[in-house]
Amino acid sequence: MNDQPAQLQPTVVDPRQQPTQQSGRRLPGWRLWLPLLFQTGLILAVPAQDAYTYATGKPITLQTVPVDPYDLLRGHYQTLSYDISRPDQLKTLPGGDWFTQSQAQSSPFYLVLEAPPAGSSHTPPKPWKPVQVSAKQPANLPANQVAIQGKIDQYDQITYGLETYYMPEAQRTQLNQDISQQVNPQSSSNNQQANQQAFVVDVKVDKTGNAVPISLWVKDRNYKF
Amino acid sequence: MAPSPKQSSSIKLPLDLPPENFRRQLRHEAEQWWQEGLISVDLYEQLAQRYQFQALEREASHRFIAILMGLGGILLGLAVITFVAANWQVWSRPVKVVLLLSLFLGINAAGFYLWRRPIGQKGQQRLGQGLLLLGALLLGANLALMSQMFHQSGNLYELFLIWSLGVVAMAYSLRLISLAILAWLLMAIGYWTAWITRLQQVDFPDQFLIQHLPLLAAGLYVPLAYRCRSKILFALSGVAVAVTLTFNLLPLIWTGVNGWLIAVAVTLPPLLLWSYSSQIWRSSRTPDPFQATARSLALWYMSLLYTVLAFRVWWEQPWSASSVQSGNVQVLLDALVFAVIAGLGWMQLRHGWYQSRHLDRALHSGTIAGFNLVTALALIWHCEMSPLGWTGLIVLNLLLFLLAIGLIRDGLALGSRDAFWGGMTLLVFGIICRMLEYNTGLLLKSVVFALCGLGVIAAGLWFERNIKLASALPAQEKSP
Repeated sequence: MNDQPAQLQPTVVDPRQQPTQQSGRRLPGWRLWLPLLFQTGLILAVPAQDAYTYATGKPITLQTVPVDPYDLLRGHYQTLSYDISRPDQLKTLPGGDWFTQSQAQSSPFYLVLEAPPAGSSHTPPKPWKPVQVSAKQPANLPANQVAIQGKIDQYDQITYGLETYYMPEAQRTQLNQDISQQVNPQSSSNNQQANQQAFVVDVKVDKTGNAVPISLWVKDRNYKF
Repeated sequence: MAPSPKQSSSIKLPLDLPPENFRRQLRHEAEQWWQEGLISVDLYEQLAQRYQFQALEREASHRFIAILMGLGGILLGLAVITFVAANWQVWSRPVKVVLLLSLFLGINAAGFYLWRRPIGQKGQQRLGQGLLLLGALLLGANLALMSQMFHQSGNLYELFLIWSLGVVAMAYSLRLISLAILAWLLMAIGYWTAWITRLQQVDFPDQFLIQHLPLLAAGLYVPLAYRCRSKILFALSGVAVAVTLTFNLLPLIWTGVNGWLIAVAVTLPPLLLWSYSSQIWRSSRTPDPFQATARSLALWYMSLLYTVLAFRVWWEQPWSASSVQSGNVQVLLDALVFAVIAGLGWMQLRHGWYQSRHLDRALHSGTIAGFNLVTALALIWHCEMSPLGWTGLIVLNLLLFLLAIGLIRDGLALGSRDAFWGGMTLLVFGIICRMLEYNTGLLLKSVVFALCGLGVIAAGLWFERNIKLASALPAQEKSP
């Protein structure tokens, strides 16, 4: 290591390498606190927008299908692919011709979702349905509607920033078993449809269209990590 | 080590101590001279004082302790990162956030105050440095925890780049090479993670930071190398700039094969590195301390490039564009900035040419410019006019072997072991590659080897004659 401070031979070793200056004056405290403040700022900036969404967002529910990969820093997670992530389904909506336009890849779009008809509270909650696609953020939506911001890439993949749900290693096996029982049942196709509907995600969406996943429903079990 | 009472004002300590192995050898020799009566005790004492013989053992053990402390810090940091990844649910979110943040702030503070302890508390200084390293890893753990808590689906490489930025800020402030190297490693991991993402075609990292990483790496790490006075750091930043510059231009080349762009991508990094000198923006007469490092990096780059381009596969057919990948024109901005810097550097080098100070070397600015010019012309011709086929193959192989021979020759002439063995490795590796690549008859191989052998012997004889001529001239200066 070249950066070991060696004050004992002040004429021999480069004084710049030493924490204590040659004159014997100590390195001032701000030399630590200023970069530390910057680093803390980075730590807080990473989740800032999502924390805002978490605090102020409107809760909605979405239909999804999961898979289980692993991330080096953040651990195991579910990759979620939503019904509203399929371009062919969105293209049939009002405003769906946006996807065939040339600027589609470079700018985000907004998808308006509508709450299921009010009535008895259902477990798991019923998913919200997409009603309209818009290039601009729609203003003055009724209370039972919300606009979520999405992006489409050059491979026709639609993302909402909701595609990963991190989960604890300890509960991973059980959760994956639960999911595979729900998603791949050895029963009739009719039953499968019913089971797929039992797999939904609770999400919060804020005024700007940013969304954060909150919890995962597998049939009547709710997972919140 | 306490200063010896015998130290007198008449003994002048050298400003930069020679390398440790030299001092060890000198100590060994001096002891022998003293025992043989060649030098007196006084002279031995003076030598011991001047070259700090007593400090040798202590320095070695201090270095060992520093490495142990650093290793301990890194392992603890990895423990915390893995803990975050485990996503343990027994502690609630707020508890984890408070715990990790206070650990982050506390460890950094403890590390800093131990590290800046006054003279005589070296053990604590080393512990402090280990803790600062741990603090840098805790930054990553905190970032990961925040991202995990809100189930962010952003790419992993973004986290690595943000982490690297944070660590580099601390490295600047404290002038700590260990932190700077950690930041460089994080940046490298981030860059290659982005490339893997790009190749998997999941989500295209059109990210601003990745596109401008050459400029960012140069802007962040080159000044840091000067600030820390570290050759290692300068070499690392040079590698980062050269590699990211070439690799960032690749996607553009894939979209539409353009000979000019390919030529820029592969000749700009070596030209930039060779001509690098801080005198471009400083009007100082003292030579740049890192110029030699930059030049050997340029030679490394060219060696690797010619090794790759000397394979037949590049020249057999015209390069075809792949329609899948698309490039981002933003990267051209970086190429332009570096082209301007390289241009200024070569303007400066021009002065040296007329003074013919470089004639003691085979690989001087003139030959390097020639090598790159030929490479650029061959690539442009191959892609823009007509496929070169055998001609291109022969030209690139010639460049490869000429470079190897030039390195060997300079290594011998200047007594530089690195250049000699570098050239030797390049030569042998080139020959082995060609031998495995072409599945020709053994008779032909034998003829080729015979020709190569004759050529090498002829070259040896030619040098022999030149050296005789040169030794008649006054001693030549060694500086580039």
